[in-house]
Amino acid sequence: MGESEILSVSFREISLKNTKQDRILLSDIHFSLPKNNIYAIVGKNGTGKTTLMKSLTRLLDKRYYDISGEVLFNSKNLLSLDANELVKIRENDIKYVFQDSINTFNPLKKFEFYFNKFAKDKTLIEKYLEHFQLPVKETLFKMRPYEVSGGMNQRISIVLSFLANPQLIILDEPNSSIDPAITNLLIHQIKDFAGSGDNSVLMVTQDLNFAEKVSNKIAYLSLSAGELAPGTLSQLYSPGEFFKSEQDEIKVFLNPNYELAQHA
Amino acid sequence: MRKILEVKKISYSVQQKVKPNSTAVKKTRKEILKKINFDLYEGNILGIIGESGSGKTTLAKIISGIIKPTQGEVNINIPNNGRVSQVQILFQNNSDIVNPLRKVGGSVEEVLRILKKDNSKQGSSIEELFNLVNFPENLWQRRGYELSGGERQRAALARIIAAEPKLLILDEPFSAQDPESQYNFLQIFKKLNQEKRISIICIAHNFNLIKELCNELIILNSGKIIEHGETEKIFTSPSHPFTKFLLKANEYNLTKEELLVNSMLSKNEYIPGLSNKQ
Repeated sequence: MGESEILSVSFREISLKNTKQDRILLSDIHFSLPKNNIYAIVGKNGTGKTTLMKSLTRLLDKRYYDISGEVLFNSKNLLSLDANELVKIRENDIKYVFQDSINTFNPLKKFEFYFNKFAKDKTLIEKYLEHFQLPVKETLFKMRPYEVSGGMNQRISIVLSFLANPQLIILDEPNSSIDPAITNLLIHQIKDFAGSGDNSVLMVTQDLNFAEKVSNKIAYLSLSAGELAPGTLSQLYSPGEFFKSEQDEIKVFLNPNYELAQHA
Repeated sequence: MRKILEVKKISYSVQQKVKPNSTAVKKTRKEILKKINFDLYEGNILGIIGESGSGKTTLAKIISGIIKPTQGEVNINIPNNGRVSQVQILFQNNSDIVNPLRKVGGSVEEVLRILKKDNSKQGSSIEELFNLVNFPENLWQRRGYELSGGERQRAALARIIAAEPKLLILDEPFSAQDPESQYNFLQIFKKLNQEKRISIICIAHNFNLIKELCNELIILNSGKIIEHGETEKIFTSPSHPFTKFLLKANEYNLTKEELLVNSMLSKNEYIPGLSNKQ
């Protein structure tokens, strides 16, 4: 692991345990994320993008998933780390924004709880809320997750991840329920975050335009083609290279018309 | 062409409690939609674009009769077809879109059965419906909870098409889909429009897909129609500053300064040269 890398991932296999035979979901996934970088992983529905992100910090249920390999975060292997230490890293250093952000909150807890728990610098709260066009602190703190829309939950989750001032933010479809104007804002925020300190961002998305505008490198996660060919990760491309890729699967992914046009 | 829908000056407002301080509670009315006025002609596909919170879903619910407008009226010019409404709405994709505990095939058959009883005529066959939405036969006997997001959405669509709608309202039909499924859905909607003569209203925030699908476009901004016309024309020469802003936002090319201006606009602050307000 080089000095400038904050995350170095090397999965041999991620598989789903089954009574008869384990099903390999992903295999041979290797990449390193240097500091001050933003990497995006794109791919179709159901390829295992979320599974891959969750595997990084052992968020998958051990009863159902088997993971072999190594995930080095600042030279510590997260896959073998002591549970207490791992929880500390999840709390302070690696922050997630999940796709179903509404379900990441406890519906019975007011937002105040989350902001008090995670915001490192309380004086920044108001600035971020205003930035992401959320209600003022006094109003929002008294609300519960089910009282606000899905898009608002997603924005709150994003704001919380920035406020926690981690080193690595992992975003899972961060703009799936927010509109383009706020997505523009998010792009600036992500870049500012990754540009400071030793920070980096890793994300999965289906929004190619978003991936192109925000990231330094893009990789494609291919769909598993049966038991013999589990899904795997392509090489890392710069956004410019990625959209000119000559690899068939990526070509079809980028332009669903392509396959049809070829046969015509 | 026949006018299939008339939306006449509809407004919608809700009561809101405001707490200016810890003891007092003030009740005010918050306007969600302001005097929305437009017609839809048979065979057209109308797109509605706006930011979140601009009232898009509320408008869809009013047109389909789920909620009543505070003011104004909606006239639907479609002959009655018994108990099954000919205005159908496909809601935003989530797990509630189909009954998780029922078999998909059964829930579609139910619609066909009611239609047949009320009109004593044979509607489409279940095969035809599922083929139309590319729903594979081996999934007919599955229950709602056993389906993936995309499959659920197609199952919901099959059930809606079974009702032989004349007007179909789509609420964010493309969200959370990869480019391939977005493309497939786009083809399905076009087919429904051309082969079944279904008029469509499509709410979305993805401009590229709206451009592909809709021949007519409405831009909503905080509950008001700020632009209405041919899609092509709005894209090539938008007249309202907010439309220009949205088009640029859609390309993710906005600078921090432009974003700041927008957030001021949304708070109704006057900005010289950019704001339409006097």
